[in-house]
Amino acid sequence: MAGSMKEIKLRIRSVESTMQITKAMELVASSKLRRAKERVEGSRPYFETLYQTLYDIVSTDSAFDSPYLEKRESKCRLYIVIAGDRGLAGGYNSNILKAVEADAAGSDYCVLPIGKKAVEFFERRKANVLTTAFAEAGDLSVSDCFEISRLVCQKFLAGEIDEIRLGFTQFVSMLTQTATVLPVLPFDAAPPAPGHERESLMLYEPDSKSVFEAIIPEYLAGVVYGALCESVASEQGARRMAMDAATKNAGEIIDHLNLYYNRARQAAITQEITEIVAGANAES
Amino acid sequence: MATFPLKIMTPDGVAFDGEVVSLSCRTINGQIQLLAKHIDLCTALGMGEARIKLEDGTTRRAACMGGMLSVLKGECHLLATTFEWADAIDAERAARSKARAEEILAQKNLDKRDLELAEARLKRALVRSSVVARKDI
Repeated sequence: MAGSMKEIKLRIRSVESTMQITKAMELVASSKLRRAKERVEGSRPYFETLYQTLYDIVSTDSAFDSPYLEKRESKCRLYIVIAGDRGLAGGYNSNILKAVEADAAGSDYCVLPIGKKAVEFFERRKANVLTTAFAEAGDLSVSDCFEISRLVCQKFLAGEIDEIRLGFTQFVSMLTQTATVLPVLPFDAAPPAPGHERESLMLYEPDSKSVFEAIIPEYLAGVVYGALCESVASEQGARRMAMDAATKNAGEIIDHLNLYYNRARQAAITQEITEIVAGANAES
Repeated sequence: MATFPLKIMTPDGVAFDGEVVSLSCRTINGQIQLLAKHIDLCTALGMGEARIKLEDGTTRRAACMGGMLSVLKGECHLLATTFEWADAIDAERAARSKARAEEILAQKNLDKRDLELAEARLKRALVRSSVVARKDI
């Protein structure tokens, strides 16, 4: 009996130290989450206005055509996939990677993975990877996003890519994160219905086409940066939840083990008493 | 003086939100200045100094690079990639960045992309240092 008591004691100790780690990770994730959330909220107005303006240009002014608007037969599709650098974040990485794979199924595609987990995943799948220069999702800055945008726009204009989609995890709330695949280019906006075309009163300097084409790379960089902010916040949110669950589970296991430990202790005591009584009886 | 609402946004957040008398900045077409009651306008931004004049007559200056400027129903939105107020610019960093860019440009055998990157860096550094240098005016 004494042997099993020692074993249980050891297990309790090991679960306790695991619990300490998950607890610490949860705390770290929630403080990072707070910062990431502020960043998401700070960046949202910028992209919403940017998107709205582009949308307005296209939907009121159908008089120009731009290579960014033209829908080509999709021969090679590019996925920009944003996942995390580390695991232990619940379903965060696998959700987004699965969503992208399901979306890409059956078509010819290449990827630009952001985040170590995404890079590893697509390299294992032997997918056509454009570049692995942006493997660290954690320290990507605005200027990196512009670099991505420049690279991708160039390929898009050169006709190497016909369509661009962005896979990221949307930060809905502290508790909910949804993996999303968003078509980015060609820019998709409902052109004015024939017969309802109206003359835009907007003054474009120098003209709508130049403005549109100057803004598109900014827009792409903006979308990537926005998606990155959302994904980073989602990752921290998912990790916080996962670690919270792990801490709770560890607590439950410790409770169980304590019960077994006490039972074993009582059994040992009872046995000792029985032995002593039996011994005393034998002597008298 | 008539004022109009101006909102300056960058990917890092809202840099300014309030009433101004005038806004002047560099677009891809050259320097322009907006006053109240401007017609609806949309244009892309170049690299240069942006200046806003507040109702009490104070002028604030900033380095403003890349992005979009739009006026819609009297409201003005400036969406900049980089927008730094003159007093927030790190002059030393700009000087260092300029020196480094010049160093790169001095090399002969650059490929096209490196050249572009170095030129863009030099331009950014020049805009920043010119905005800082005129602080005392």
